[in-house]
Amino acid sequence: MSNTGTTQMLHVREKKIIRLHWFNAICWLTLILSGLGIISGDFVRIAPVFWPEFMQGLFGGNHNLVLAHAIVGIAWVIVFALFILANFTSVVFPFLKKVLVLTPMAAIRDTKSMVINLLQLFGLMKDTPIPPQGRYNGAQRLLGTMIIFCSLLIAATGLYLFFAPMVFAFSENALYGSIFRWALVAHSASVFLVLIGLVAHIYFALIEEPECLEAMKSGEISVDFIKHHNALWYEELKQSGKV
Amino acid sequence: MAKHYVMLADTVRCINCKACVVACRAEWETPMGISRDWVKEVEFVKDGQPKVMLFPGRCQHCDDAPCIEACPSGAAYKREDGVVLQDDCICSGCELCVPACPYEARWLNPETNTITKCTYCQPRIDEGLEPACVTTCVGHALIFGDINDPESKVSRLLKEKEWVKLTTDEVNIGPNHYYLMAAGESLPDEVMPKLHDRHLSGKVMENVVNPVGAIGVGGMVLAFLGAGVIKLMGRRDKVCAENKEDK
Repeated sequence: MSNTGTTQMLHVREKKIIRLHWFNAICWLTLILSGLGIISGDFVRIAPVFWPEFMQGLFGGNHNLVLAHAIVGIAWVIVFALFILANFTSVVFPFLKKVLVLTPMAAIRDTKSMVINLLQLFGLMKDTPIPPQGRYNGAQRLLGTMIIFCSLLIAATGLYLFFAPMVFAFSENALYGSIFRWALVAHSASVFLVLIGLVAHIYFALIEEPECLEAMKSGEISVDFIKHHNALWYEELKQSGKV
Repeated sequence: MAKHYVMLADTVRCINCKACVVACRAEWETPMGISRDWVKEVEFVKDGQPKVMLFPGRCQHCDDAPCIEACPSGAAYKREDGVVLQDDCICSGCELCVPACPYEARWLNPETNTITKCTYCQPRIDEGLEPACVTTCVGHALIFGDINDPESKVSRLLKEKEWVKLTTDEVNIGPNHYYLMAAGESLPDEVMPKLHDRHLSGKVMENVVNPVGAIGVGGMVLAFLGAGVIKLMGRRDKVCAENKEDK
């Protein structure tokens, strides 16, 4: 706990988590830019045609671009896997307990608070109070749950897409090719889902709650902010004597 | 003008000796039972007489090649000279391109586990040689050359005789392979291109994932841009109100 001027600041985030967040952000940016450049054919292409042409030209062919994408992707998987192994009980499990939305009731509750939150951005439901939130609000929990499941799918399908043609003889069993084709669909669909969520994530960090962005750099956030946005968390902190 | 290669097949001169198939298999060392080219026999009865028509076939190197559109990695591509090629280094062997080809000219090579097809013998033509099948054709039924060169044999033959392409109302993707028929004969249905049911995964990607994803991301960007503008307007009104109060 520290005091800066008149605002009481609370240390809520460890340096290793901040580093992991920014490592994740850089990996995502790199992987999206390169990934959009890999998928080429008009039937399956995601980005406008100039982007694959530009990226493949920049890397001296799609073979090199795929390799660069895979290297970053594998580094992303390894770093996360090591982090999870090293911090499972201290960081990961408590985080999952707070973030994962696994029951229909929790999903309905979080969706309701998210909808009110989003509509208030557009001047609607101004007088409707948002139910008190814990450390993570409804939108963050729903987004977090989606990102966790999508990331697992992206990692699994990405590894298959890169390694399967080297490991399996596709001509021997039609299943190998079939899994490859569906892995491509799942990989793209999961990335789209995360991107949809990321738009909101980035907007809130940059425009609505810049204090959260600061907290993702310094690890500290004001007690007033917690009191205003995360009433249930504030109560927890009060009971544990941290504020 | 850039070169544009085409193949001509004179079905009247073809004697079904399969020398073209042997030459192709020898040139490309294709696995047992598989060849990049073929001769299709079509038997029919006309005026009470049994007849046979012979159609030497291979990749038609289409202008709007659907195999290129279906290939996710860009392994299938078209050169400036019109030749559709396949890059083994990047091909994963996913076979999305196989049902996309209405001429059934692509298959998964069991030795390389990549897609194989006729390339008009690209290394040979780059050296100024003719494709192996053309060189070996004993009846001179196959003719290959640059259609953009008015002096070439293919240009001359195309002007002299009535050549046809294997196209239908349903499949007309600009093949660069011409056929010459005997007078009065029409193209049999057996050799015409047919649309095959593409892999469901490819259709899901094209018709569901990509459009829904693009609309989703685009919609979110627009919605939050709108939210940003509303916030800016709110801030402006607040500042104006504060300024008025100060005065």
